[in-house]
Formats: sequence, C-alpha cells, structure tokens
Amino acid sequence: MQQAYIPLKIQVSGEKLLNSSGAVDAQKALLFNWDSKVKKAFRENFPEVSSRSDKKELNRLISSNSGYDVKQFFIKNVEAFNSETLIFITASDDVDQYLKGRFNTDIPEEDRRLTDKQLKWIDGMHSEGLVKLKFNKNFFTSADSREPESSGILGAVVGSALTMFVTVLLSLPLAVMASIYLEYFAKPGKLTDFIEVNINNLAAVPSIVFGLLGLSLFLSFFGLPRSIPLVGGMVLALMTIPTVIIATRASIRAVPPSIKDAALGLGASKMQAALHHVVPLAMPGILTGTIIGTAQALGETAPLLMIGMVAFIIDVPTSFTSPSTVLPVQIFMWADSAERAFYERSSLAIMFLVAFLILINLTAIILRRKFEKKW
Amino acid sequence: MRNKFETENVVVHYGTKIAIDDISLNIESNNITSLIGPSGCGKSTFLRCLNRMNDTIDGCAVSGKLLLDNEDIYSDNLDPVDLRAKVGMVFQKPNPFPKSIFENIAYGPKIHGLAKSKAELNDIVLESLERAGLIDEVRDRLDDSATGLSGGQQQRICIARAIAVNPEVILMDEPCSALDPIATAVIEELLDQLSKDFTIVIVTHSMAQAARVSNKTAFFHLGKLVEFGETQKIFTNPEEERTQNYITGRIG
Repeated sequence: MQQAYIPLKIQVSGEKLLNSSGAVDAQKALLFNWDSKVKKAFRENFPEVSSRSDKKELNRLISSNSGYDVKQFFIKNVEAFNSETLIFITASDDVDQYLKGRFNTDIPEEDRRLTDKQLKWIDGMHSEGLVKLKFNKNFFTSADSREPESSGILGAVVGSALTMFVTVLLSLPLAVMASIYLEYFAKPGKLTDFIEVNINNLAAVPSIVFGLLGLSLFLSFFGLPRSIPLVGGMVLALMTIPTVIIATRASIRAVPPSIKDAALGLGASKMQAALHHVVPLAMPGILTGTIIGTAQALGETAPLLMIGMVAFIIDVPTSFTSPSTVLPVQIFMWADSAERAFYERSSLAIMFLVAFLILINLTAIILRRKFEKKW
Repeated sequence: MRNKFETENVVVHYGTKIAIDDISLNIESNNITSLIGPSGCGKSTFLRCLNRMNDTIDGCAVSGKLLLDNEDIYSDNLDPVDLRAKVGMVFQKPNPFPKSIFENIAYGPKIHGLAKSKAELNDIVLESLERAGLIDEVRDRLDDSATGLSGGQQQRICIARAIAVNPEVILMDEPCSALDPIATAVIEELLDQLSKDFTIVIVTHSMAQAARVSNKTAFFHLGKLVEFGETQKIFTNPEEERTQNYITGRIG
C-alpha cells in the first residue's frame, strides 16, 4: 500500500497563471509547462548531471504524470504560488519497485528498465532521504492510469457500486414479481411449464452469453452507450434474475400455506395475501437469493467485456451513464499489464473486491436478521 | 327460519376424482349447522365451497347451484374477495399471522376499509377480542406476537380476526381438533354466543361436539349427504342406517 515519493521544492510564479479573481485560469494553466518545472526542480538534486542523455535518464525516475499532479496541486492551493512549496512528487514505478526490493538487478543492464547509473542515483537519493516510501493515498482516490504509480482503484469501486445498484434495483423487484406470478397467478399448463424450464435453464447459461445478449439488445438495438454502469447493471441483472427467482420461489413455498389461507379467508385478494403476508415472511430467503446473485454478479467479468466495460477509463464515474469499469475487470486489466508495479495493485484490488463482498454479505445478514420472524 | 345458504346438486371434482357428489343442503340463518362424517367424506370440501376457498386448489371444479342470500356464489360477477368478507373462515390449525395480536385482528378491517380512523380501528379490535372472549387474557399485551399465545388462545385470535371483518357467516373447519378439552369447551361456549349474530357452519370430527353445539347436523359419507336434520333427531333417532352406524361408532 506504499508508494515511493520524492519531495521537491517547487516555486511557481502566479503572475501569469492567476486570473483577476485569484483563481487559476484554466486556459493558461493548460499552456504552462508544468513538466519542465518539475523536472528542473528534480534535477537540482543532481548538480553534476549535465549531458542531455543523462538528463533524460534522470527524468525517467519521476512519474510522467507528475506535471499534471503539480498542476492539480496548485489549482487547489492557490496560496502556494510565488513561494517555495514542498510537494511530494510520485516517483516512477521502477523506482518504487526497486526500493521495495522487487527489482531484479542480476539481469544484464541493457535488458533492465533501470540502468546502473539510474540505480546509483536512486541509492544516493535514498541515503539522503530524498525519496521516501509513503502510504499510497492516491491509490484510493483516483481511477485507472497507464502509469502504475498514478493508477487507483476508486474508479472501479465506484463503477462496481453503481453497477450493483442498478443490478439489485432491477433484478430484485422483477424476480419477486415473477415469482409471485408463477406461484400464485400462473395457470398450470404448457406455457407455465415452458417458462419454468426456461428460468431454470437460464440460471445455468454461461455468463458471456448474457454479455452477447446485452451487446445485441442494449447496445445495438436500443443504441445505449458503451461502458456505462447502467448497461452493465442491466446485463448483470439479466444474469441474476433467474437465480433470484429460483430462491424466491423456494422461500415463498416454504411459508406455511395456512398463512395464505388465513389472509384469503379474511377476504384479502391473492395479491394482498402475497404482498402483506407471504413475501414479508419469505424475505430472509429472498434476500439470501439476491445476495448470492449479486455476489456472483459482482465478481463477473465476462459479460461486461462484451459491452465494453473493459475500457481504459481515467475518470472516476460520476453517474450511471458515465463510462466506467468495475473491480473484477480492473483486476483483469492490471494483471494483464507488463509493468511489475501493477502486480501489487492487482493484489490490492483483489483484497478490495473481497472486502466489498464481505461488506455486501454483512449488510445482507443484518437485513435478514431484521426480517427474520419466528413462529 | 330464513335460509342463508341454498345449495342444490353440488358436485366437486379434484381432477378426475369426485370429492362430493350431488349434495343439496340448506343452511339456516343465525344457527349453528354442523357437518359430520368420516375423513375424506367431503365435508371440508363442501365447507370450502361456501366461501370459494376451493379456488386456490389446482384442478378443483365445482358445479351445481350454490346461493348465498339468493345470490350465486360461483357467478362470474361475484368477486371471491367480497364473498369472503361476508363469509369468514376459521381453520383447523390455529394460523395467526406471525405479527402482533393487534395487527392480526386489525388486518381484515384495514384491507376492507372498515375503520376510518385509528381510534375506530382500535375499537373494532377491542370489540372483536371481547366477542371472542379473549380480551381479559390479552388486554395488556396487544403488541406481543400472536404466535406466542397458547393453541386455544391462538384459535380464538383467529375467531376474533374473522369477527373483526363483520361477516354474516363464519365457517369453521374442525376448529377444535388441535386443542385440548378445556380450550375446546371455551370455544364451544363461544360458538353459542356467536350464533346470535352469525350463521355458523362447523365441520367436526367429534360427534359429541356436534351434538353439544349445533342446531342442525348433516352427515356426509363417501361424498354423499346421507342425512340432514335437527341435531337432536340425528343423534337420537336417525332415519338412515348408515347414520345410526356412524354415530354409534360402527363405521368411520
């Protein structure tokens, strides 16, 4: 959970960047060369380096996104202009890995990502305390990035949360309504049998097939945008509904028929008997089914691949219609990346996914306890 | 006395099996009519025809004429929901909702919109409990779960619940078969009280009970109505030999 940071003293003159109201002018900030500012400040630590190629090698030690980070810092902290400010710049992922002892120095120099010279610089910086391992706050506050050092998990977590929200919102009521229909209203016959067989079979259909269905139905036919939690949630809801229906019907059947008779005997309609008495009593079972379905959906990657949720998205999603990714897909993408530093990020993301699942299950258990009634 | 129910040539099939065959029976108003007979003779089936509870059973087909106050029970224009509000039912096993005592009684009036205010609903609940002879036992614990009561109390909760809807008829399907003799005695006493306001039809396995509580008795055997008449006559001087054999315990 740690990340190598390099503290740098940076001074930026606010004269050219601030507008009349004292805020940073977006247009001017865009044109300003933040990168060179950072690099210059960084190179001050190494007065002996002068050749062009050495400078280039030196620059590689800091994250290529540090210019952007500095810009964001100054936009947020306007008072920091015009004075020397200490900013922690993220070091590049190679530096990070080297400091954590995960960089193999035995392989020949030309095959390594860090040259001997760079290693010597890092060692020097490390002994002087110019590079430090600090808690990687960035990992929890930002979304994906090409650079491991600036990639974070928040985008995927928010994406997962939004997607699950849509899934539960769609699948729970639909499945409960379908179950009530099948248990109480459907006339036994060929059609009902057909529906039943299909629901049971749907629960066993490979998830990627649901992805294909979502692709052709939601994206091609309805023309919804790709990669959004809304569509992701709808596809996962399709997948979850059969599971929830099966669980719901089982728990509706487990409610003693005498309860239904009692309500009907009082002159309640079938619907009232179901909604007022049977469904509340079946709630623990329904919730368990929903949890199982949701937990399955949360860990699902395949159907989301089909609807474009594998996209590389660097913004944290803000709505159901903003492009996003989800945790398992994020893990899949990171595990697939070449950079060694993504390896630890995948592990962390997996832990996050597990924690997320535990959280959902806990909520469910608490809800079940609340609804459970004894007789 | 006026006839509450008039039935003629009632036949009920469960799938291909005939449950009751050609039954014609008139049930008098503000009276207790008991239906007796061995298990599987169709008395419960007949009872459940009277408020269309058979509708919930798959493959059940009812034919014949069934009239409640000269209105066809099985007519398409009649909503079973309205029928059941008029014809309440108490089941064999006490089946209170797993809710509080108050909610159990209040549910019926609530769904039928019988109470306009909370106070009115409260009155209905208390009155129903009183008529069911339960008020002194539960006055202080209306918010407790009804499932925590004893079997006899639970059954009286169910009776109170049926009364709360203010029905005209109360059907009882072996209401005392799951209860001990003391609880049974309490309920039998209650039936006597209730018959002043309601028409009661009771299915029972206990011939003693039928003799004690009912004004009229119908004896069913193998899906047929064997004999129907004044209770006293059925038990002391039956016309049919089968009735004689049953009440003396020779068939069953």
